[in-house]
Amino acid sequence: MRLIVDRDRCEGHGVCESAAPDLLELDEHGDLVLLAEGELAPEHRQQAADSVVICPVAALKLEG
Amino acid sequence: MTTTSPASAIDLYSDESVLEPYENYRLLRELGPAVWLEQYGVWAVPRFREVYDALHDHQAFSSASGVGLSDELNRVMAGGTIGSDPPVHDDLRRVLGRQLTPKALRQHQEFIRVKAAKLVDELIGRGTFDAVPHFAQWFPVSLVPDLLGWAESDHAKLLDWASAGFNALGPMNDRTLAGMPVLRSLWGYLDRIATERDLREGSWGANLAAAVDAGEIPAERLPTLLGDFLVPSLDTTVSALASTLWLFGTHPDQWNRVRADPSLIPNAFNEVVRLETPARGFCRLVTADHDLGGVTLPAGSRVFLLYASANRDELRWEDPDTFDVGRRDAAAHLAFGHGVHGCVGQGLARLEAHALLAELAAKVRRIEVAEPTWRRHNTIRGIAALPTTLHT
Repeated sequence: MRLIVDRDRCEGHGVCESAAPDLLELDEHGDLVLLAEGELAPEHRQQAADSVVICPVAALKLEG
Repeated sequence: MTTTSPASAIDLYSDESVLEPYENYRLLRELGPAVWLEQYGVWAVPRFREVYDALHDHQAFSSASGVGLSDELNRVMAGGTIGSDPPVHDDLRRVLGRQLTPKALRQHQEFIRVKAAKLVDELIGRGTFDAVPHFAQWFPVSLVPDLLGWAESDHAKLLDWASAGFNALGPMNDRTLAGMPVLRSLWGYLDRIATERDLREGSWGANLAAAVDAGEIPAERLPTLLGDFLVPSLDTTVSALASTLWLFGTHPDQWNRVRADPSLIPNAFNEVVRLETPARGFCRLVTADHDLGGVTLPAGSRVFLLYASANRDELRWEDPDTFDVGRRDAAAHLAFGHGVHGCVGQGLARLEAHALLAELAAKVRRIEVAEPTWRRHNTIRGIAALPTTLHT
């Protein structure tokens, strides 16, 4: 399972940061950075799922 | 097994219901996941789960035929950013949204901070004042036209336009009808701006016009897109800012928490708009027979997604009617909508509110408020007048 950022939709509101602190972070420019690319570690799956649900503009999704 | 579809005679647009909406929302939530509103011929969707699901399924729940209750006004308003579906929506949203991302807004952050500091200092010195015109309206209405880059600075006119725009999302009642001449004046104004291009260089409006010239959006969309910037940026923020003062004025313990720890400000603002959601909700059209929480919605029917009710849903929130600035999951509210149509201006709204709250928290020990009077409006839940005193 992978976490995907839809760059066309992401507006950098940063709501996902608190839902998935190990996976997502706004950098100093305000751009969203995916901290762990590729297959999600089992301990990160809940955070990933939470971030998908809370993204206010539907820019995150799970694949696989 | 036969399932019965819940129906209700509740009138969400009566004066009583507009002034005291929360008991009716609770009754609707109790009745079911989708409740047929007999008087208006729409399905009210009052619980969090189904509002969220509908907002995240634009194929089943379409915005393309408008998001209001009246067919007549939906026909006029369809086609803008709010009244469209992907992929058309995404092209408009991209052009509108790129100027409103928190990243793009950073260049205005210092300007807004200084503006907030000046306003708070002035209001502290004023004694008792009405927080609606002097705080909640003044801040966005003196900011947004400037950012949009147009010359119109008649605050009363701008606020009337925004108010009429949101009233028109309701049914064809007296409030909507009273706003019709106002809306016509707004549309005329937007057409004129789009034609004459009297827009400050580098402003949002000028950048939109440039996107038309670059062929990114069709020229006939320009007036609507200019309106998409203006109308939603005023009344909603006005409501949220007035509710902020009222809630902190009536909950001094919560104010003390924010003063002691200003890092709570973003969460506190989420909690304000969760509890006093400015725009009560928007409609969607059901494109094919659809099961929503066990209720079958027939194709062609309209759902009224009640954000303000979802944000107090007992099934979703612990102590939903309690104002708690430390609420762990306050950011999950639906006050800005959610999904592909999630409020494009939420970054600006947050920037304004956070700046004002930071100044207030640094300077004001106690916010004293008298009884508010509430607006009678089809869409906006908001305070009409709030006598306020800021104690340092």
